[in-house]
Amino acid sequence: MIKLIKCEYMKTKRKHIFLTAFALLVLMGMWAFYGTSSKDMSDFIRQNGYTMFLYQFPLVNAIFFPLLCTVIASRLCDIEHKGGNFKLLCTMVDKGKIFDVKLIYGLTIVISGVILFWVLTIVYGKIVGFTEAFPINNYLLYLLFTIIPTASIYIFQHSLSMIFKNQAIPFFVGVIGEFTGLFSMFLPQFPFLRKSILWGYYGALQFVGLFGWDKQTRFDNAYFGVMTIDWPAFALLVCLLILIYIVGKYIFSKKEF
Amino acid sequence: MLYKLIKAERLKLKRSPLWLAFIFMPIIPALLGTLNYKANIEVLQSEWFSLWTQHTLFTCYFFLPIMIGIYSSYIMRQEENNRNWNKVLSMPVSKNLVFIAKLIQVVFMIFLSEIWICTLFVISGKVIGLTSAIPCDKLITWCLFGTLGGSVMASLQLMISLFIKSFALPVGISLGGGLSGMVFLAKHLGHIWPYSLMAYGMNSNAPQELIKSGYMSFVIICIVYIAIFMITSSTILSKRDI
Repeated sequence: MIKLIKCEYMKTKRKHIFLTAFALLVLMGMWAFYGTSSKDMSDFIRQNGYTMFLYQFPLVNAIFFPLLCTVIASRLCDIEHKGGNFKLLCTMVDKGKIFDVKLIYGLTIVISGVILFWVLTIVYGKIVGFTEAFPINNYLLYLLFTIIPTASIYIFQHSLSMIFKNQAIPFFVGVIGEFTGLFSMFLPQFPFLRKSILWGYYGALQFVGLFGWDKQTRFDNAYFGVMTIDWPAFALLVCLLILIYIVGKYIFSKKEF
Repeated sequence: MLYKLIKAERLKLKRSPLWLAFIFMPIIPALLGTLNYKANIEVLQSEWFSLWTQHTLFTCYFFLPIMIGIYSSYIMRQEENNRNWNKVLSMPVSKNLVFIAKLIQVVFMIFLSEIWICTLFVISGKVIGLTSAIPCDKLITWCLFGTLGGSVMASLQLMISLFIKSFALPVGISLGGGLSGMVFLAKHLGHIWPYSLMAYGMNSNAPQELIKSGYMSFVIICIVYIAIFMITSSTILSKRDI
């Protein structure tokens, strides 16, 4: 297995895959932290900065992480499709093993990106001077609720990219899913919508809400509160993750190249 | 000759299911945008205009740029596979025309999406019972100018796909471009930035902005951009060893 992972690394050498992930994270950071620098920060943000990020970032994650998954999965699988390498590879290694190795390699890159952004969020808060005590438990939960949806989306995209030679198909499916997921976050009155697609779980697992805000008083009476965590939704997502992995691997194993 | 090249491009895309995505994708904002409009009807009071912003806001900034990126990448990739560029470029046709034929193919798809977006918009408005008259003239303007703005993005994405041989990277760039378009629009520079021109033309943010600034300057800027990207691309095709 280690040997095969090393092979994956060799194949992606000079393909700038890590750089691609990093560039997307930089873009994400610029988007996420816009308007929260020390000079344009209000007292409300200074006092509630860390919790505010927990409220705002599921939306940012829902835009960027699915795209990161699509790009990385496609680039890793495209190397094989392009050269017709699967024909050769499958004569030497078990198809299921190829599926797993590529999945582990890509998932490591994506999850590293998620963790890196999580760390960056904390460091950024320290640098700009949030006065709020760092809510470590909430941040660990947030990390878990970001990693699991991202991992399930990655497994789904990875399966599509491995199965279809035409990489435009996984891209279109990914974009349409992402679009629906993003929209579902603006429709809290339809909670089933978030839980019915993988891309909606960033919103379904959001557990911080903004209360007391209105047009007249704005942030005067506003506060962030922790809401009830939707553990059944989390359990459902974990089940979906396992199911997608099993189905994806099965279809790939049965496919003729 | 151009007609023959366009026909060849269409043949290359035959049985490719990509057009389905352009048809399917606008249904999502139409459905969810309408639901959002209904849920916030006390804030969104400009009837058709408010509904239009709900239908097109995310579409213009995130999703159509990505779709255009994918489509452009796919069209260029067909030539990169099996060294097809060698065959295409050895044909007795101008490099410019090769690029124009590909561009027309993408623009045609954008135009179809625009018409479909408008159709869904009218159906949604009627279903939820908007009583005022449909702003037909404005709808046609948004549709045509959106296509023109989208053509700029398409020519730029085709050029990028010509530079970068990867399929996924130009799509990532188109997302970055879409986001940058949003920033440029917020800074009131939407009329000069290639990635903002489609949202600007479709008036996804403020339905009165384009009318104020005038149509002529918008058209001139779009044509200039398309010409620049086209000339650069055909120069790359002529000079670089593909």
